[in-house]
Amino acid sequence: MAQPLIEVKSLKMYFPVGNNLFGRRRQLKAVDDMTFELYPGETFGLVGESGCGKTTVGRALVRLYRPTGGQIFYRGTDIAPLDEKAVQPWRRKMQMIFQDPYASLNPRMTVSSIIAEPMRLQQVPEAEIEARVAELIGQVGLKKDHLNRYPHEFSGGQRQRIGIARALAMRPEFVVCDEPISALDVSIQAQVINMLEELQQRMGMTYLFVSHDLSMVRHISHRVGVMYLGHMVELADVEELYSHMQHPYTRALMSAVPIADPDLAAQTKRIVLQGDVPQPIDPPPGCPFASRCRDCRPVCREARPELRQVAPGHYVACHLYD
Amino acid sequence: MNLLEVKNLNTSFHIGVGTVHAVRGISFHVAQGESVGIVGESGSGKSVTMLSVTGLLPDYAEVSADTIRFDGRELTKLSRKEVRALHGSEIGMIFQDPMTSLNPLFTVENQLTEPLKLHRRMDKRAARARALELLRQVDIPNPEARLKQYPHELSGGLRQRVMIAMAIACEPKMIIADEPTTALDVTIQAQILELLQTLKRESNASIIMITHDMGVIASMCSRILVMYGGAVCEQGDVREIFYGAKHPYTWGLLNSIPKVHQKRGEKLVPIVGTPPDMLQPPAGCPFSPRCRYCMPVCRAYMPPVTALSDTHSVACHLMHPKAPKIGRED
Repeated sequence: MAQPLIEVKSLKMYFPVGNNLFGRRRQLKAVDDMTFELYPGETFGLVGESGCGKTTVGRALVRLYRPTGGQIFYRGTDIAPLDEKAVQPWRRKMQMIFQDPYASLNPRMTVSSIIAEPMRLQQVPEAEIEARVAELIGQVGLKKDHLNRYPHEFSGGQRQRIGIARALAMRPEFVVCDEPISALDVSIQAQVINMLEELQQRMGMTYLFVSHDLSMVRHISHRVGVMYLGHMVELADVEELYSHMQHPYTRALMSAVPIADPDLAAQTKRIVLQGDVPQPIDPPPGCPFASRCRDCRPVCREARPELRQVAPGHYVACHLYD
Repeated sequence: MNLLEVKNLNTSFHIGVGTVHAVRGISFHVAQGESVGIVGESGSGKSVTMLSVTGLLPDYAEVSADTIRFDGRELTKLSRKEVRALHGSEIGMIFQDPMTSLNPLFTVENQLTEPLKLHRRMDKRAARARALELLRQVDIPNPEARLKQYPHELSGGLRQRVMIAMAIACEPKMIIADEPTTALDVTIQAQILELLQTLKRESNASIIMITHDMGVIASMCSRILVMYGGAVCEQGDVREIFYGAKHPYTWGLLNSIPKVHQKRGEKLVPIVGTPPDMLQPPAGCPFSPRCRYCMPVCRAYMPPVTALSDTHSVACHLMHPKAPKIGRED
């Protein structure tokens, strides 16, 4: 296989939360010990419930956060420990598309200045910027006379296109798409997904596609990682994962997706998980999923299962497969 | 017997810049014990339809209808106050966001016992006992402790269960669920849908489910109304819509979601363009500007409703005998 574009090794992202009576800071372990690779030109889907840490992983990779521990090798260089200044040159290679197109565009800036902003920050000459903005607006399917308007004049789908044009401005190699379609109507979601796919084919970008929409992740991803409570519990090629899922959590998650086909839905048995996702604050030892798992055994509450390979390219972290 | 019958409902909002025609001439019915799904995009008028029927719209909304008949009573003839008295007793409502529809200043007990005291004239003790029973019915663990808590202390799934408990407190004949699971994770959504199905089996109430998720509709509803631009463009039972849809918009909705066995690399078929601006809706068929099969007649006249079976009807000019025969593309 090709050299990975990004290698993530035991990535940890902890946030301090409050103090207890004795002044000991408690830790929210949003991401704990994640190891995976991203290959050039692929789309890696990251799925899980709210609060599982999938967005945090995306933000740590583009260094919006400074990781608590672990390494992020970008083409062989560890960018995890770099400070703000040192990380700047890497930033232009990595971009992010945000979930909420209403909150992620500055309402007081025109579309052209929104798209130009990353280039201005990276000191691209003004003459170049103008030509590039005109090129980008066409690439995302908007018109040149949209450039002097403000975000409020656009619909959600059009705003998301503006956000994508901004992300593409510096010709990034790697784009984190953080729930890019979940705020959009169904008929518009397909437009945006098709556009992301076309842009990837044309420019060979690598996507980290963070989403809770499992059918869309299946549609767009080459490989998929399933996260639970800050841990990667299963990782495989998309077809392998969706046809031979192993981890009890993956199975429950997939079976919970409503099927838009009444005959098929009637045949499928849903596994309904009990309870809510626990808080990742000072989590107990053992498997993070133990408290909701139907196949939980004593060992699951004592030792955390390692992510191990069960088939070529298919990794599962579960004591059932020891 | 139809529990709810609505004929020619029109709702418009007078706002500064003009009049928004949110609902334009909708007719539908809901039978006792039936679960009906209303699908459509944001702004298609699906929520406004149900809010108009139940008289929950603000004063600047103008609602008119030939008939809104609920359980043998003509709601258009009742005063606003009388219609609102049906809420909580005969009509239960579940909204999308349980954080904004529960009052943050009151405990679960306060909110859950309010409809019981109001509509059933229960005293405090009886209402509390019934509230506990309701929390058990919606599978909330440790109900005694939950009664004393405030909404912010509950997770999204638990809050939605409290909402459902409130909706069913007085054993309503009809439950209106407006995007009840949109704000929830899939695993929690599965719990809530299962709960709604169990409740429906036990109580034989009718459910009207408003959603944009075709998957939720497929597993929950027996009949579907597809709305676009303030009008019903197609309605039918669940199999007629999923396997025999006739309206190009319904095809578009079904084609723009990835299929269960769809391979990577197969393109999704989006609906081009954006939903209509209801300040100036298109003169003819509301879908005509986005429709691939648009004919000159579509831009000029609203299509008539063609009945294809007892349950299946479609509003599209393609149904005219002289129109070209076009089938759904996959």
